[in-house]
Amino acid sequence: MTAQDSAYPSRDERLNLIDRLARWITWPRFIFALAMTFFLTSILFPFYWMVSSSFKTYAEIGGREPVYIPSALRLDAYLELFDPSNPSFWNFGVNIINTIKIAVPTALIAVILSTLGAYAVARLKFGGRGMILNSILIVYLFPGILLIIPLFAMVSRIGASIGFDVQDNLVVLVFTYLAQTLPVALYMLSNYFRTIPVEIEQAGLIDGCSRISIIWRITLPLAIPALVSVAIYTFMIAWNEFLYALVFLNSRDMFTMPIKINTIYNDPTPRPHVVMAASTIMTIPVVVLFLALQRFLEEGLTAGSVKG
Amino acid sequence: MSVAAKDPRLRPPVSRRRWHSLEAREARLAWVLIAPTALIVFGLIIFPAIFSIWISFAHVTLGNLHDVFHAPFVGLEKYRRVFNDFAFKWQGFHSWGAAVTSIVYSFTATSLTLLVGLIASLLLNRPFRGRGLARAVFLIPYVAPIVSVAFVWRWILDPRPSGVLNDILLKLGAIDLPIAYLATRGLALLIVIIFEAWRYFPFAMLMILARLQAVDKTLYEAADVDGANTWHKFLHVTLPELRYVLGALFLLRLIWTFNKFDDIFLLTGGGFGTNELPVLTYQFSFKSFDFGKGAATAMILLVILVVFLLIYANTIMKGTDE
Repeated sequence: MTAQDSAYPSRDERLNLIDRLARWITWPRFIFALAMTFFLTSILFPFYWMVSSSFKTYAEIGGREPVYIPSALRLDAYLELFDPSNPSFWNFGVNIINTIKIAVPTALIAVILSTLGAYAVARLKFGGRGMILNSILIVYLFPGILLIIPLFAMVSRIGASIGFDVQDNLVVLVFTYLAQTLPVALYMLSNYFRTIPVEIEQAGLIDGCSRISIIWRITLPLAIPALVSVAIYTFMIAWNEFLYALVFLNSRDMFTMPIKINTIYNDPTPRPHVVMAASTIMTIPVVVLFLALQRFLEEGLTAGSVKG
Repeated sequence: MSVAAKDPRLRPPVSRRRWHSLEAREARLAWVLIAPTALIVFGLIIFPAIFSIWISFAHVTLGNLHDVFHAPFVGLEKYRRVFNDFAFKWQGFHSWGAAVTSIVYSFTATSLTLLVGLIASLLLNRPFRGRGLARAVFLIPYVAPIVSVAFVWRWILDPRPSGVLNDILLKLGAIDLPIAYLATRGLALLIVIIFEAWRYFPFAMLMILARLQAVDKTLYEAADVDGANTWHKFLHVTLPELRYVLGALFLLRLIWTFNKFDDIFLLTGGGFGTNELPVLTYQFSFKSFDFGKGAATAMILLVILVVFLLIYANTIMKGTDE
């Protein structure tokens, strides 16, 4: 009885509450709360819908009304993706592995190459430095769709002369992703290197270290936050990329996740719950990675384009 | 004095001759360090870009794709075909064609993205409990993979009875019959534009927020002394301070939106009045396998972009310099 009393405020207290609320709410606060609610619902609802739909059954997905909360955490969709004994087995595990096989090497190679290049741009004087910086800017402007046709022609020309398979070659994709990400990575890193005081490196030079050992022993340890953010960015770009993978990959066993999800969506019998399950699997690592390292990454995001 | 003396980084007391050799060594090292990146970018971006000019003047199909240099030269034939294609050219208000659709789509989507980003940054600029969390949540649409979010949107907008937006609007009494949002001319373009703003506002928000936090606080104090209200402060202090960021953002987002292929391809496949130049390029090249026509479309896209950049640089940028 006493517990109930405390849970439900008496009439006087309730009036008091409304009174306090009325005094607390001013117009700016009301508009702020309204706008905030609007933003949060429109951002979060699609993601809720994605995750919740992935746990629905085929009956719940195709019913006469949408099911707002799945009856139970049904794994039907996930079994379709991963269970070989399922009648409509999609073999999605292979696609996850393909994506990792592309994204991890892209990120690692991009970090190594852009570190070397960025150091040269930030610290060394050489003719052609301006040209390099300008061509980075041009990459910002270039439409990916413009490059896909000549790249396709070039790769099939090379393929015809040295006889390796153009289609379904993951190495080709790694190289195209490197070309897309290296300029921005180089730009971000060289900006970061400039913030490291030159005096530290000079001390090393005077002590007789070579440039390479200075990069390895002094600059790199100081630049770890920037290196991490470049690695995550290139990883995410390779993980998400759609157009190049769509053009260069042909057989289902070589597909990356984005292309496979597209295939599942275009299946003659619509199966949104499977699409949502695959999308959930693809989205969670990226979002978790980003949120965990948000501090580093936001800086990179802003430093990469607009200054001031 | 010498070159060495001008460079503050390199001033240990050594003779001038060794200086020069050191400088030369440094330059050589620089080239070695940058060579892999330069090679990849040249070979896979700059060369293909120039190469695609040649393809746009040639008749290239699947049959002679591996031997493009011997493809028959057809001059401006491919361009003429693109300009006469019903998917490309303007045919009145019922059918805009990809060129006009692209321009309308990228300008409205960019403006809406910036507007939503501005509102979001103003919301997050004032202190409140849970601001860090809200900021993180606001970034999610931009970080999540495009394929996932595009298909979630399609699934939410689904015209079947299980489509959730239709269900909500029917229950609220806002509509009488389910709507096929992405398969209705006009509405589809509007939805695609809203999708762009939903997905890309966080980028604008971050940039604007960074600038907002650098605004000199004394400007607001001075405005307070002058008796300015919130709206006046926004109009006469905040907006002028944001001018450069907004200008740069508009340019960057416009270029990226104009070049964007994934979003529209995944949402509508270019149907129902949403066909834009990148999707059209894809259709010409990889659906009808007329690579010359595809390359010509891509070149037209690039020319429109460059013309816009020149106009932008000569009018708006000039205006802000003064």
